Amino acid sequence: MPLSVTLSIEGDTTVIELEGELDAKTAPDFHQTIEKAAGHGTSTVEIRMAGVGYMASAGLRSLVFAQQKVADHVTIKVVGAIEPVSRTIRTAGLDRSIQLSDD
Amino acid sequence: MPSTTVIILDEYPPPTPELLDALRLMDAELVPRTLGELLRGPLEVLPVADVLLAPAEADGESIRSAVRRLRRWAGAPIVVVWTVTEFAALQHHVRLGHDYLVPPFLPALVGARLHSCSERAGLGRTLREADARAELMGYEKELEIGREIQAGFLPESLPVPTGWEIDVRFRPARQVAGDFYDVFEMSRGRRLAVVVADVCDKGVGAALFMALIRSLLRHTAENSGLQHLMAAGRTGGSRRTPVVGATPLLNAVTATNGYLTRNHLRQGYFATLFFGVLDPLTGSLVYINGGHNPPLLLSGSGDVPVPLDVTGPAVGVLPDCVYTLGYAQLNPGDTLFVFTDGVPEARCSDGTFLGDERMLELLGGPPASGKDVVDRIDLAVREHTGSAEQHDDVTMLALHRPRAARGPHADRMAAA
Repeated sequence: MPLSVTLSIEGDTTVIELEGELDAKTAPDFHQTIEKAAGHGTSTVEIRMAGVGYMASAGLRSLVFAQQKVADHVTIKVVGAIEPVSRTIRTAGLDRSIQLSDD
Repeated sequence: MPSTTVIILDEYPPPTPELLDALRLMDAELVPRTLGELLRGPLEVLPVADVLLAPAEADGESIRSAVRRLRRWAGAPIVVVWTVTEFAALQHHVRLGHDYLVPPFLPALVGARLHSCSERAGLGRTLREADARAELMGYEKELEIGREIQAGFLPESLPVPTGWEIDVRFRPARQVAGDFYDVFEMSRGRRLAVVVADVCDKGVGAALFMALIRSLLRHTAENSGLQHLMAAGRTGGSRRTPVVGATPLLNAVTATNGYLTRNHLRQGYFATLFFGVLDPLTGSLVYINGGHNPPLLLSGSGDVPVPLDVTGPAVGVLPDCVYTLGYAQLNPGDTLFVFTDGVPEARCSDGTFLGDERMLELLGGPPASGKDVVDRIDLAVREHTGSAEQHDDVTMLALHRPRAARGPHADRMAAA
């Protein structure tokens, strides 16, 4: 299933909205958007994942990649992830460096 | 479908009525195009043509450029230049390698000439495809070599201690895998290390990191001795006496995490892993679960499976993180089932996952043997996937302690 990625800026937050499935095939699109988002220089990058039905380990790698791309003081938030997706993030321990929130 | 496609170059003069009649009588699709369209138009709308028909008055060099462009797109047509009177210009084209047609434009003559051109164009396309295939085969050969080398990073044979059974199933989704497993002896044969890991993402990148992570884990575990590389990470078992094998276990995972986060963080590769250290005499297990799907401890008495939950994050993500130790006990009849996410996340053609619940259902009831567990789950994964493409590597390892095991400690544990 394809992944739609949209990028926008809301005040001091760069918003990446994902819809579809985040896996080895679609993760490269997300990587490109992350690189653009990192260039915006906002203090927060918010990844809205309510529309992501499945995230494979390639998607986890994208989140680690995002962490590396943004400056140290930038907060990365994952918002609205459904339970299986947020569980994947928590099991791998990425919730220690990325903020998970419901909305 | 016509056997020959002819681009009629829209240049002055247009084909004579006799030539047009001859073209219409043969089984050909006629596509008019200007030189401008062929030289600068979007590639997607250019036809795959056998013949490019042009008057001798057209500029030979421009036609050559157009043919070069068509060749890169879908294969080159054979250029056929016609004339009634301009034989000097025709000669120039022939020197450029173009074919030619001169009157009389009788249907059989024109047809025969264009069909033979069509065959030559087809041969050119076949050669081009053969080249592309040869290149692809070159890559495939490289990938096959990669697969063979990677197989060398998996244990050649499993050191199975007396009184135990180990069964493994390893089915990569592609030629090279991100999953791996390892079984090796530690602490001078007094302990058995059991590792199942999943490097994130797929393909060659994951395979390279698999080789690195497997080597770091095994090398550190085999060589760390009893000296702590790091003193932290024992919060989970403060009241327990130190366990043999716990130190190399902590050292292996902590050092691998340190190495990856110091040297490779930017690449974003990491592994979730389960690393267990078994005392084969007593069945006690000390482990680290670094962000991996919790393995299931299946009870020989039919109790509900116990998940061995995470004791730290995935390896290679967070610098200086703390791994704690988990403890479990395998009694006679028990099985430890370790697997990667390719098992619960196996998908059928409509995208449905096998799922954790179905897995637990399948694992209900005391397992007869480790092989029985692996076979049961593997069959379910295969049946569920059906004709759909296998998306992820599937790795399973079952560590089983048969009831029939004999030995002083086994008896004592069974009695207790």
